[in-house]
Formats: sequence, structure tokens, C-alpha cells
Amino acid sequence: MLERYGNAIQIATLAVCVTVSLFRAAKYRSRSWTLLSFFYGSWLLGDIYWLNCLLFYGETPHISVVSDLSWYAALIFLYMLLRKISPPEELRDASPVSWLGPAFTIGMAVFFMIRGEIISNLIYAGLMGLLLFAAIRRLIPEDRTEQSCLPTMILIYCLLEYSLWTSSCFWNDAALFQPYYIFDLLLTMCFPFLIPAIGKAVTT
Amino acid sequence: MSYIENIYVCLAAPMFLAILCLRKNSRQSLIFVLSGMTACLLSAYVSTYLAGLTRTDIVTASYEIAPVVEEVIKSLPILFYLLVFEPDKKNTYSGTLMVSLGFATFENVCFLTSYGTSELLRLLIRGFGTGAMHVVCGMVVAVGLFFLWDQIWLQAVGAFALLCFVITFHAIFNLFVNQSGVIFWIGSAIPLIVIFIYMLFLHREVDLS
Repeated sequence: MLERYGNAIQIATLAVCVTVSLFRAAKYRSRSWTLLSFFYGSWLLGDIYWLNCLLFYGETPHISVVSDLSWYAALIFLYMLLRKISPPEELRDASPVSWLGPAFTIGMAVFFMIRGEIISNLIYAGLMGLLLFAAIRRLIPEDRTEQSCLPTMILIYCLLEYSLWTSSCFWNDAALFQPYYIFDLLLTMCFPFLIPAIGKAVTT
Repeated sequence: MSYIENIYVCLAAPMFLAILCLRKNSRQSLIFVLSGMTACLLSAYVSTYLAGLTRTDIVTASYEIAPVVEEVIKSLPILFYLLVFEPDKKNTYSGTLMVSLGFATFENVCFLTSYGTSELLRLLIRGFGTGAMHVVCGMVVAVGLFFLWDQIWLQAVGAFALLCFVITFHAIFNLFVNQSGVIFWIGSAIPLIVIFIYMLFLHREVDLS
């Protein structure tokens, strides 16, 4: 039951975020805002699908490909958004610290694969690794003149996502103050903060 | 049991003859419609095969397997057109919509032969709902593909992401229309509302030149 409430709160938050970012995309005719709308939209559709399976049939999908596809798409849109905002010259010379991101996701993927599915965990590791690499690379440029708001938010988002996944491996009971629900709520709260972060990045 | 390949032959034969007789633009449009119908036939086969392979019942397959298979196969004719003919935005946009149209039409014909033609209201909702859903999916892919990315590799990755996006939209639609009562109505109305909003606010913004 708590999972359904958590999903419902996330859906409501994402619906507001989609509306705001779509409105800005139409107002400023901006690709960045459109990509953000697609990110929120993909995440929202994945959540709606998951929640409706629970509501209509009382169980999560047997073949969880559809929701996963939606969440893969969300990560791709977020990566493309970061790429769109990053100036091209920054993309060439990556600091060695940037490789910590992919290294972390590979390590976590091995941990998750021991406990669960192999293919989906590999795809998530690849996409999250790419996202973390791009975010860290943008946070530590040689001459620090760029806005760091968006990469910081993406970094927080990725870490919260990993905390959520890791906590789901250890705590499965439906208690309100167990780490899984706390991280889920924190992740939900993280979504709206991407809007001002994009706003700043676009303005810069 | 309905033999959809027989229905396909019956519908495709006059179209095929018309394609031979028509000139450039009309011929192209009709080829797209026929491709959409062929994609629908193929996806019915593949979905049934995968449902059997994973031992999934018809209802579950309709929202867990069919959306993935249908959207992937539906995108193949346009992908082929994009890669081989390198068309302009306008042609690709209308081509995508025509493929969706062919797909939705054939799906509705198969639905009619399977479930009968007695309930006009339900068929009306089904016709508009399914048609709108396929058109929305095609529109999202076509518009997104051309307006979000410039570089070719970004278009390829972006196309995959857009495909994932429309698969989930399709799956949610199927999930809703499998229910009865108000949920069925809401499910059918969602794609129509999306098309309405698109026509009202975004249609003029999309520059196809």
C-alpha cells in the first residue's frame, strides 16, 4: 500500500513538472526545455504504467520491459540534455575523476546482478555511468566558468537513485520510515529542482 | 478464429493495384499505408509467438508484449525510408502518419471481424481511440526525430529513446482499454486529448520546411 502512495506522489509531482517544462518549451521554443519535458514525461509514463498494473491487476508486470524502457528513455533524454547544454570543447578532455562515475556504476551493476536480472542491470549501469561521467566532467572543467547547478542536480539524482535501488535489496518490509521509502520520497523531491537548474543553465 | 492474413490479402490487393497506377505523391502515400498494414500483420504474428514463448495470456500480452512489438515493427518502414531515400522533413512526417494510419486501420478491421459490429458506440470509441493512439505515437517519433537533434548519431539514440517513450504510452493505452466502464472511456480519450492539444497549440509551431 505504501508503495502505491509513493508512486502516486511521484506521479503527481512529475505531472506538475511536465506541465511546467512543456509550458516553458512552448514559450521559449527551446530544445533544452523540450528534452526536459521528455525526461519528465518518460519517467511519468513508466510510473503510470507501473501503478496501473498494481491497481488493475494487484501485481507488478510479469515482464517488466515496458516500464524499464520508459526509464531508460528518461536517462537518455537527461544525458542528451546535459550534452546539449555542455559546450563542445569541454567534451574532449575529460578529467580522470570523471571515470569514477562509470567505475561506480559497474561495481554496483555487479552487486545488483548477483541479486537480480542481468540485462536490465547492465543497461542501467551503462546509462547511469554515461550520465555520471558527463555530470562529473562538467563539474570539474579546467577553467571553471560554467554553471554547475545542472550537473550537481544530476549527480544528486543519480546517487539518490542508487541509494533507492540498494535499499530495496535490504529492506522489503512495508514500514513508513524504512530507507527505501525515504529515498523514494527524496528522489521525488529531487525532480522539481531540475527545473531551476535548467533555467540557470539555459540563461547562462 | 479469424484468419487475418486472408483479410490482409483482401484489403491489400486493390491497394497494390492502385499503387501500380498512381503517380508520385499519391503512390508514396499509399505505399506507406500498405506498409503500415503489413507491419500490423507481422506484429500480430510476432506478438502471438512471443506470448506463447513466455506463456502469457492474451490480456497480459496486450499490455506487456504487444506494445513493444507493434511500435518496433511499425517504425521499421520509416527507418528504411529514412536510411535509403534520405527524405526531407515533410515527407518523413507525412510518411510516419500514413504508416500509423495503415496500422490502425488494419488493426480495427481485425477487431471488427473478431468482436462483431453490433455495438456502434463502442466501435466508435474504439475506432477513434486506437486511431488517435497510433497517430500520436507516430507523430511523437516524427516530430522528435527532426526537431530535437541535429547530429546523426544523436538522432539514432534519440529515436531509440522516443520509441521507448511511445511504447510506454501505447502500453498504458492498452492497459486502460482492457478495462470496462469509466476507465475504458478515459483510456480511449487520452490520445484524442493529446491530438487536440497538439492541433490547438503546437501544430503551427512545427516547421516542416
